[in-house]
Amino acid sequence: MFTFCVNSVNSGDSASTDRSHRWIESTEYAQRSTQTQRCTSWTRRGLRFPTQTQPCCSMFPMLTLLSMFYYICLRRRSRSGTRSESLGSRRAVELGQRSALPVTVEVEQYGKEVLDFSSHYGSENSMSYTMWNLAGVPNVYPSSGDFTQTAVFRTYGNWWEKCTSSGPSFRRTPPNFHSQDYLELAFEEPVYPTAVEVLETYHPGAIIRILACSLNPFSQNPPADVRWEVLWTGKPCKSLSPQARQFSPGIRQISFPTNLLRLEINSSLLEYYTELDAVILRGVRERPILALYKIPVIDINELSDSEEEISDAGGLCCRSTVEHRHVLGNGFFDRLPYELIQLILSHLPIPDMCRLAQTCKLFHKHCSDPLQYIQLSLQPYWARLTDTSLCHLQSRCALLQRLNMSWTGNRGALTPAGFCSFMSACGVSLVCLELSCCHFLTEACLEVIAQTCSCLQELNLASCDRLQPQAFNHIAKITSLRRLVLYRTKVEQSAVLSILTFCPELQHLNLGSCVMIEDYDVVVGMLSARCRSLRSLDLWRCRNLSERGLVELVSGCRLLEELDLGWCSTLQSSSGCFQQLARSLPRLRKLFLTANRTVCDSDLEELAAHCNALQHLDILGTRMVGPASLRKLLQSCPQLKLLDVSFCSQIDSRFVQELTSLFPNVSIKKSFTQ
Amino acid sequence: MLSVLSYGRLVARAVIGGLSQTDSRDYSLVSASFGFGKDFRKGILKKGMCYGDDACFIARHRSADVLGVADGVGGWRDYGVDPSQFSGTLMRTCERLVKEGRFVPSSPVGILTTSYYELLQNKDEIKPRAEMSHRSSTACIVVLDRESHQLHTANLGDSGFLVVRGGEVVHRSDEQQHYFNTPFQLSIAPPEAVGSVLSDSPEAADSSSFDVQLGDIILTATDGLFDNMPDYMILQELKKLKEESLMTSLSCCQSLPSTQTNPRKGCTMLLLSSSSRPPDCSCSPAGRIEGCLSLVSSWEFGNLTCSLFSSALKRL
Repeated sequence: MFTFCVNSVNSGDSASTDRSHRWIESTEYAQRSTQTQRCTSWTRRGLRFPTQTQPCCSMFPMLTLLSMFYYICLRRRSRSGTRSESLGSRRAVELGQRSALPVTVEVEQYGKEVLDFSSHYGSENSMSYTMWNLAGVPNVYPSSGDFTQTAVFRTYGNWWEKCTSSGPSFRRTPPNFHSQDYLELAFEEPVYPTAVEVLETYHPGAIIRILACSLNPFSQNPPADVRWEVLWTGKPCKSLSPQARQFSPGIRQISFPTNLLRLEINSSLLEYYTELDAVILRGVRERPILALYKIPVIDINELSDSEEEISDAGGLCCRSTVEHRHVLGNGFFDRLPYELIQLILSHLPIPDMCRLAQTCKLFHKHCSDPLQYIQLSLQPYWARLTDTSLCHLQSRCALLQRLNMSWTGNRGALTPAGFCSFMSACGVSLVCLELSCCHFLTEACLEVIAQTCSCLQELNLASCDRLQPQAFNHIAKITSLRRLVLYRTKVEQSAVLSILTFCPELQHLNLGSCVMIEDYDVVVGMLSARCRSLRSLDLWRCRNLSERGLVELVSGCRLLEELDLGWCSTLQSSSGCFQQLARSLPRLRKLFLTANRTVCDSDLEELAAHCNALQHLDILGTRMVGPASLRKLLQSCPQLKLLDVSFCSQIDSRFVQELTSLFPNVSIKKSFTQ
Repeated sequence: MLSVLSYGRLVARAVIGGLSQTDSRDYSLVSASFGFGKDFRKGILKKGMCYGDDACFIARHRSADVLGVADGVGGWRDYGVDPSQFSGTLMRTCERLVKEGRFVPSSPVGILTTSYYELLQNKDEIKPRAEMSHRSSTACIVVLDRESHQLHTANLGDSGFLVVRGGEVVHRSDEQQHYFNTPFQLSIAPPEAVGSVLSDSPEAADSSSFDVQLGDIILTATDGLFDNMPDYMILQELKKLKEESLMTSLSCCQSLPSTQTNPRKGCTMLLLSSSSRPPDCSCSPAGRIEGCLSLVSSWEFGNLTCSLFSSALKRL
């Protein structure tokens, strides 16, 4: 009996009252059974203490001690159970009785943490308009409007694509890949998802794909393979109204529990910034029984590239798969000239090319031709790209000139070593390299890029926020750079200055949200001295640019066509810097003065007088601009297409309507908070 | 047999009870808030926790409870329900910061600084209540760190706090003033007047930290209370807190605040803010009191409001 007690105290994971009761009953029974040997009259007396006191006396203090001990253990376990607070981010809804085994326990969770995203409107370390607002309970829904407590992306519509600062798009993009931005949201508990609801509070309709990951981002031991499954996919749609809505598409059932969701966004058809408030994940803890009976219908149109992996296909390509057939050949296809077959195949996306290469020797020869891989966009296949895929593609990419590997390689799919070997083999003739949101990059990778790609002209490292500041020093070695995007990176002032010193041919520079640059005046001074052919400059949220710096910039870089000074709050219009800007930049096509509260009528009048090529203008948030100067601007700038006058208190919606009717080609934006 | 087990359980409980410290449990605040604006007599209900130009907030987080009060500074203003006022927005931003955990309990100045800079991140500007007035306010933030049982405070301007223990004031804050009627203040200057509007940095706030004990009363108020009620009167009212029983008569109170009461044991906290125009101010016909008053606990609610109100109103 003693040993039995000890066992029951030590073992067992959850202490419940049932168990303690059972233990008490069983000890009673055990005691009874041992006592029968000593006192035969015990069973006749039932559940009463035996008359023989001698064995009981010795056992009494021991029992007391044991029960004390067990009670302490019970209490400690139950206390640790109730102490674990949930911060209100999830609650369990139990269906069915408690006593019976729960058939389906549906768990509803709000997002716990936003782990990764491609861009956002707000500034780093802020909680206004930043992507971190997506976690937790909704703050704004069901109200509609432009509120600070929502998650907003950096861009909307196709205004940014139309600018020359964005490079030409890559060919061979699969027709069902439209994603422009993404975010990854982790939840507390992995569940088999049954529903995903997104609370959109402003200009809804941007979400086009929802994916689920098999990896638990909070687990200590990450598994070797990470799978992403598409829960839902749709086409970009035109939003009917800017009002809030709860978006709840029907999602597929998947075979693994997930607590990491990825939402992909395309806002090209939307009128203004889309804003998201919260995401709700509903799921069950146990695998749904129905899944056993229902064969999931795999709709080819719904899923994107969920068949064989590129690495598989690449691997197979290397093997010789041809049987020598003397008689049939390939029919009339053989008679086509080589270049024509190349032209036909150039319309196929990359996975199809890999599969085609396995069919016959002729196609294998064509699909391995490096001339097919002058432009290579691996961004649509970010979920499946691994080191082995790159290895297999290496043999075909000797003539690679434009490579897009944005969004790839995260969560261990690509290693710096694999990337470096690919670069060393294929990067010699690279002209354009897109590496936005590539978190696997290290300083070594940039060093290899700088060494190998001597004629690189375009480099995009947007949102590579895990890249160490000293890695950017290597970019200065790429002296032929024309386009450089360092949005949301940790580049430091010294690295930027050395880049500007050695890359005088820079035409497009994006230093938006680069928080580690201490003094933008110095940077801009260097720009005006060294990079006189600068065409576009993005200084979004640069906090300490002064009027002196701006005047120096516009006097040096006379060819500027696009200038984004959004949220640069230190610029004061009273110093005349904006008027100087207007006078110095006749070719100006895009000017963003978002949230500069000092923009006034005289600035607009100067713009109207000198910058007649203006196409995009944003003067959000100023109360010093009146209707008259706005009208004059619209009359003088016939090519104006985008005008953002949100939160300009002198410009009311009635006036905006009047202007829209007078100037139908101009898209006038007036945001609201209801 | 069963009695043996229950006996064992009793002994175990006794042992545990004796061994564990009551201090290992976290402290918490029992708090509520209330207020009235200068147009109190007109009976205008205020929404949220904004009372005239004053505002306050109460926020809870896992590790700390935070209270804050802000007193809008400026010239004589019009009335009207304007939700986008500076002090109210400042307090709501602080509340949001605390709820999302973006703060360090030992640094309430950090909360002030962060929320002040967050105010500038809004696309829509905070509108001043009237054309000629500025957007500025004083602020006082008090953070109770639950585990370490310490109170961290930050005070900018002429609001302040008192800590009362056993009927005596043990801690008080200092007023910060540049000169008469111009306290230290956080402000956002209008674009045309940058440089000519007084604006202090949040880092200029006085901060202090000290231990608190169970049963302490912490009184946070704006200058209206301290200007109108001397210490001994405040202490008298607070004594009544301990003596009187639950009553719900609120006949003299126009608006019912949001009460958040937590019956757990902890420091009792009183959050009081009121501002007043001194009777000799030439720009007002009579000294008007506006203020917001936050109360200790649910059972003392009714009486303290009434008693403090009546004593405050008597001073007019």
